Amino acid sequence: METQQEIIKVEGLVKRYGDFTAVDGSEFSVHNGEVFGLLGPNGAGKTTTLEMLVGLRKPDEGTAIVGGFDITKELDQVKEVIGVQLQSTTLFELLTVNEILHLYGSFYREHISIPDLIDDMLLTEKKNSRIKGLSGGQKQRLAIALALVHDPEIIFLDEPTTGLDPQARRTLWDIILRLKERGKTVVLTTHYMDEAHVLCDRIAIMDQGKLIALDTPSELVKNLQSDSAVEFRFDEEEVDVNLSEVDGVKQVGSQKDVHVLYTDDLQKTLTSLIALASERELKLIDLQTRTATLEDVFIHMTGRRLREG
Amino acid sequence: MRSYYLLTLAQLRIFLRNRQVLFWTLAFPIVLMVMLGSFLGNGNGVSITAAVVDQDKSDPSKNLIKEFEKTEVMSLENKITEKEALDKLKKGDLTLVITIPEGYGESLSAENKAEPFKLPTYYNETNMAMSQVGLQLVTNTVDSISKKQVDYQPVVVTESKGVEALNLRYIDFLVPGIVAMMIMSNNMNGVAGQISSWRERGILRRMQGTTLKASTFIAAQITARFMLNGLQAMIVLAVAWLAFGIEVRGSWLTVIAFVTLGTLAFMAIGFIIAGIAKTPESAGPIAGFLSFPMLFLGGVFFPIRDMPEFLQPFVQILPIAHLSHALRETMNVGASLLDLGMEAMILGGWLIGAFVVASFTFKWE
Repeated sequence: METQQEIIKVEGLVKRYGDFTAVDGSEFSVHNGEVFGLLGPNGAGKTTTLEMLVGLRKPDEGTAIVGGFDITKELDQVKEVIGVQLQSTTLFELLTVNEILHLYGSFYREHISIPDLIDDMLLTEKKNSRIKGLSGGQKQRLAIALALVHDPEIIFLDEPTTGLDPQARRTLWDIILRLKERGKTVVLTTHYMDEAHVLCDRIAIMDQGKLIALDTPSELVKNLQSDSAVEFRFDEEEVDVNLSEVDGVKQVGSQKDVHVLYTDDLQKTLTSLIALASERELKLIDLQTRTATLEDVFIHMTGRRLREG
Repeated sequence: MRSYYLLTLAQLRIFLRNRQVLFWTLAFPIVLMVMLGSFLGNGNGVSITAAVVDQDKSDPSKNLIKEFEKTEVMSLENKITEKEALDKLKKGDLTLVITIPEGYGESLSAENKAEPFKLPTYYNETNMAMSQVGLQLVTNTVDSISKKQVDYQPVVVTESKGVEALNLRYIDFLVPGIVAMMIMSNNMNGVAGQISSWRERGILRRMQGTTLKASTFIAAQITARFMLNGLQAMIVLAVAWLAFGIEVRGSWLTVIAFVTLGTLAFMAIGFIIAGIAKTPESAGPIAGFLSFPMLFLGGVFFPIRDMPEFLQPFVQILPIAHLSHALRETMNVGASLLDLGMEAMILGGWLIGAFVVASFTFKWE
């Protein structure tokens, strides 16, 4: 991963809505040919960041260089080198797949072969169907096809798999990985941990408008300095125990009544926890152990869960 | 250029595939025209049904009935008893009931009458205006009998002449109004609804993410809507021609010029509404708020001169008033574009003003 060429450079982007600061001085770079994930709960500023990068929102401060062009000054050139799939966009429902791809293709100076693109996106059977009648997964693949119609170098995908069933998600993952194989740079937002883990070379974690971590998925988990997590609840609501005193515990993540202990020595921690519970006559419920994931990284960094935002 | 062509094509496809909208936007003006046209279109707006009860049954009484039958405006019913006739009159099914009592024939042939013979004519007071007209007709007919009887030679007569050289019926007035109404509602309400819904659904935003120019998008919108409007106006005119024999007396070019001006002006107003409306749901009522007064005050169904005095200055600035007037002058009277310079200028003023406002209020998202 060394000597990476920067294809996107974000410099201090700020976006405010009245008193609310949606994006608070983001700074990061995206390397050529990688899949870059923006991860965070709803309202973290992922979509706003992405929309500023594609020119749909004007930043209040800062700028970004996308594909060599400044988004505040050279937006027209930026639009030529990027392809965009927006969150929950609807298209002209009464047009067919074939028609809308030709239409969007005409918006650019050049476009790739539409039949090939339809085949690539597994829409061959549906090419003469109206958009209205497509399934959620097919609509999402069409949205990505529209983003690729002019063969852009950088592709922005805003929550491409939200609302899809597991099979449709996996189909989309394959498509995204194929884009990477072809040397495209992909920037995507998601709030699914597994998705970020499978797809992304590097992940930027955002929370409340701020970038709080940026690394590869495995490094992020490694930085937790613990391999395993022990998750449980107490039977009683209010319990006054200092969980960090449990043997082997490196970090404690607690949210509402769910407690998570991070440890390198699972056996030691479990034995100690059960001993503590018996001694204090507390009842443990929903006890489970697992390896630490990106979700734990997030909880550790923000004290909150991703999905609940 | 290719994107302009494909966008226009896409918009036309959307129109044509949206069968329901297509049908109702066309069915409404046509049904309205055919309905109003057949109810009010042919006569001068007055028709009187009268019953004659002949109790005399003599030659002179039959002559009198023939005289009544000659008056075109009046339709006669004569095989009826007096009681039935009076019942119908009370219900409003008849305007007048004329009774020819026994002795009418004798009285006419008798020499040296002391008093004129009286024909009882009943009318319903609840419908005064029609009754008055009917009574007038009956009086005239009866007068002519009297005059014939005494060999009366008039000294002075009136000669009535229409001021307009053309014999215009209500349907002639109506058809251009319907075309103007269609242009207004399809464009103003259509643009407002469609653009605000496309904005809400993110369709416009997605296009903003491409290198497409806003001007290309708007130009394609205008072209597609103009083509659709032109087609719909032709269909309405064809139906008017087939059903009522309405023809365009002036130049088709003038008609097309005003259809174009009207389309552009109302589209611009539609873009303003789309800009003001925060949701597609509010675009409908806002468009309705503007289109309803225009429908009733703008000379679509009723002549503007019939409007109350205090409304006149307001009515005179409505764009639809000038559009319907211009179309009417062209179609009915055969006025040329030069005669209608004032109308063209006012519509053009609306067009420019509305586009300036629209460009300030318009938002892609």
